[in-house]
Amino acid sequence: MKGKRMKYLGLALCCMTAALAMQGCGNSADQKVEIEIVQYKPEAAIYFETVEEEFNATHDDIQLKISSPNDAMTILRTRFIREDYPDIIGIGGDINYSYFVDAGILADVSEYKGLQTINPGYLDIAEALELVPTDGSYIVPYVANAAGVLYNRDLFAEHGWQIPETWQEMVTLCEEIKGEGILPFYFGFKDTWTCLAPWNAMAVELSPSDTTKQVNRGETSFTKEYKELSEKYLQLLPYGPDDPFAYGYNDACTAFARGEAAMYPIGSYATPQILSVNPDLNIDSFVMPASDDKDGRTLNSGIDLGFCVTADCKNKEAAYEVLDFLLADENLQKYIDAQNAVPCKTGDFKLSSMLDGMLSFIEAGNMTDYQDHYYPSEMAVDAQLQTFLLQKDVNAFLSKFDTDWQRYNRDIIRMVQEYEKEHGNEKE
Amino acid sequence: MKNERKRTFLLITIPILALFICFNTIPLIRGVIYSFTNFKGFGNYDWVGFRNYIDLFSDARVGKSYLFTFKLAIVSTILVNVVALLLALALNSKIRAKSFFRGAYFLPNILGALVVGYIFNYFFTYILPAVASMIGIKSLSSSILSNPDSAWIGIVIVCAWQAIAMNTIIYISGLQTVPEDVYEAGGLDGATGWKQFRHLTFPLIIPFFSINMVLCVKNFLMVFDQIMALTKGGPAQSTESISYLIYNNGMSGGQFGFQSANAVVFFIVIVCVSVAQMKFSGKKEEQL
Amino acid sequence: MIKKKVNWPAMILLILGLSTIVFPLYMTLIIAFKQPSEMTNSISGILSLPKVWSFDNFREAMRVTDFWNSLRNSLVITLVTVGLSLALHSLMGYALGRNKAGSKFYSFVYLFIVSGMFVPFAILMMPLAKQTAELGLANWFGVIILYVVFYMPMNILLYSGYLVNIPMALEEAAKVDGASTWTTYWKIIFPIMKPMHATVAVLTALAVWNDVMTPLVILAGSDQNTLPLAQLNFQTQFGTNYNLAFASYLLSLIPILIFYVICQKQILNGVVNGAVK
Repeated sequence: MKGKRMKYLGLALCCMTAALAMQGCGNSADQKVEIEIVQYKPEAAIYFETVEEEFNATHDDIQLKISSPNDAMTILRTRFIREDYPDIIGIGGDINYSYFVDAGILADVSEYKGLQTINPGYLDIAEALELVPTDGSYIVPYVANAAGVLYNRDLFAEHGWQIPETWQEMVTLCEEIKGEGILPFYFGFKDTWTCLAPWNAMAVELSPSDTTKQVNRGETSFTKEYKELSEKYLQLLPYGPDDPFAYGYNDACTAFARGEAAMYPIGSYATPQILSVNPDLNIDSFVMPASDDKDGRTLNSGIDLGFCVTADCKNKEAAYEVLDFLLADENLQKYIDAQNAVPCKTGDFKLSSMLDGMLSFIEAGNMTDYQDHYYPSEMAVDAQLQTFLLQKDVNAFLSKFDTDWQRYNRDIIRMVQEYEKEHGNEKE
Repeated sequence: MKNERKRTFLLITIPILALFICFNTIPLIRGVIYSFTNFKGFGNYDWVGFRNYIDLFSDARVGKSYLFTFKLAIVSTILVNVVALLLALALNSKIRAKSFFRGAYFLPNILGALVVGYIFNYFFTYILPAVASMIGIKSLSSSILSNPDSAWIGIVIVCAWQAIAMNTIIYISGLQTVPEDVYEAGGLDGATGWKQFRHLTFPLIIPFFSINMVLCVKNFLMVFDQIMALTKGGPAQSTESISYLIYNNGMSGGQFGFQSANAVVFFIVIVCVSVAQMKFSGKKEEQL
Repeated sequence: MIKKKVNWPAMILLILGLSTIVFPLYMTLIIAFKQPSEMTNSISGILSLPKVWSFDNFREAMRVTDFWNSLRNSLVITLVTVGLSLALHSLMGYALGRNKAGSKFYSFVYLFIVSGMFVPFAILMMPLAKQTAELGLANWFGVIILYVVFYMPMNILLYSGYLVNIPMALEEAAKVDGASTWTTYWKIIFPIMKPMHATVAVLTALAVWNDVMTPLVILAGSDQNTLPLAQLNFQTQFGTNYNLAFASYLLSLIPILIFYVICQKQILNGVVNGAVK
């Protein structure tokens, strides 16, 4: 009797499974082309909801669906392993992009006309992210972010402080601020990733933009390229709070918003969080000077969001139409307004007043990508930086950096060297 | 009759075992296969043989994470079991407002990681140092989470705070199996207080003690949420637990293959620890 | 039963210990009622009461998480999982608990399943994502099946541990009356394990209720949200709205707390049943 019961139970389970499986592959009789976008910036979800609505209201032939999930990287990876690819993915220009290109997940979009409207500086940044050079283009850069130093404009005006343009001026300014009993910098080093912000901002000036690639080719070492950078980073520490490792990103944003510090070395992405605490704060930003060569300065800026068409996308024409819509000036402007972002497209856009100090660099196209976009996340360079700032031992930090780099990038280095052997140095 | 009993047990065991194998063992085997590759989590991959396993034993970061995790697990297990047992005894004794207390002590277990992380971060960063400097304890006047030598203590406190609720529930349900008359008989022999507990109560709840030990080992050796909420592995990588590495570098990073190897080794270690533990408390059960 | 006096030392200890819970709860409550602009790093600032007591945060949190839909999904998943766990795991715990001492096969199966508890989820995640999709189980039903499997080791450990204290004599008496093993189980053993059912129900429900990873991986790309999944919306790398998040966590805490209180009553009722034996 119980045997039968068990059998029925099993049968019922099988039926339910089957029924659910059937349900999965029904409805697709619709004539419309469906385009699905998964983009990784949940903070921009509202913008993308409006875009989706407007697009669908004006297009009869294409049904657009945009999702802005949290932890999109996990979701994307999960879907990739199921071979269930969205048509377009919105990701940042970092090492994940490099991996996706290498894995052949993305389609070549060099034929897409919209690319011609993109600021060539960002196209170069995208090209440079490819592990080994390819013939195609795989991302349409949408918006960029910029990192430097955020400062409290009112505080600066009140005391008559000037924006520093050289490292020396920077140090003098910090001394001056400190002399008036105000904290020059706030740091939130408890959240390790924030350790990378000043690092990146100074690295663009002090180290070649392709440092990691040079190391991969075996031409140089981090001990050599990052020495000055590391030493200068240590010099910033006394201008921050007593125990910067006690405070997280959120603490630092709150403290800066409450006027507890004059400057905060972080990217433009932090402004919404700061303003949520103190909506009246008058923030501006400037490019972090790291050497005494005024003209050597360059803006630390990278692709914050770009759109890639997946190789699996059935209807590239429709995907391009969606991209055209996203790139339309009025839509891009809406995104810029909502997120204080920097457009990757050339044209007349109105930028947030918080980027005033960086405007001349953006207009001149003088920008360099974040060094950390080339670091594999599992190497935890951010945590290593935190360790370094705690222990203050430049040599130990850099030699570990060099050995760890070789270890974590073993496969990439092999690939690069094989490529070099095949193609020689013709590209250089 | 005997056969009927045997058949029934087999008919229960086999389908459920099949379900378990299908959704636990088979994916595990697939995972083990990845541990012999340099798979990133997507795209194509190459076979690398035992390279991941060899790397594992020469990786200082992995070694450090084992030390940290075991230190955390041992201290938390002892702390949690002592407190939970006391709490269970207190909650099971004759007290006023029993339901209220039971409900209240359960709360830590249900507060989400974001809430717990925020509140304890705040407590360790601002409140504790302020209180400590007020009463003049120098060593506590800066956040214990910002010091690589003491950050683990903060994690122990939060782990224990959250886990005590669950262990207490198990002890309470264990105490329900102790019949009243045992106490009455014991009371006649003059066994009260500690003596009563040591000789009458405790032996009867040993099965629950061993359950709690196993669950503690599982929860603390596999600690992840509390690390993410409190320190994210910092400061100076001093609080990276094994699960943290496996998840962060394997799932979010590009080390899926390598961390799968880490997970396999970790799984074997943890199974050995708990089997030893169960054998040990099994012997205890027989002795009593 | 002798009427005992109230155990005052225990009471005092409990009241003292309560402060470790009241304080965080107080912070959670006031933060849930505050506005982001009231957040500060100063202690007096954070511990002060909100300027206005308004339920706006709660309303907004409910809107952002699509509360009623997410709640329904969470409830369905949790309740079905708990129901299946009580039925299947107690049966399996019984079969293994009664036989593992005398049979190599059962003791192997017992260790095999219990050791499944220690498999790091990260290693199962990718294969499971693939496997559930292949089987057409990338939906809430798949999530439930996975939960039933994930919590099987712990629950079997609990059930078979509880069985140690239930004398075989009870079953043998029933057998003499001619009842089959199956009937004996449902008529005698299952009811007697009531305190353990309540414990298992609480632990399983709690684990399922708070879990993020399984639905995130299995339901990825579908529009079904559970409460914890929806709550992820409050947290991004560059900004977290703690006020909304705390309000939302308080809301999602209520159902599980009610469930717990009900189950606790069952554990207490179990004493009476247990005393009968």
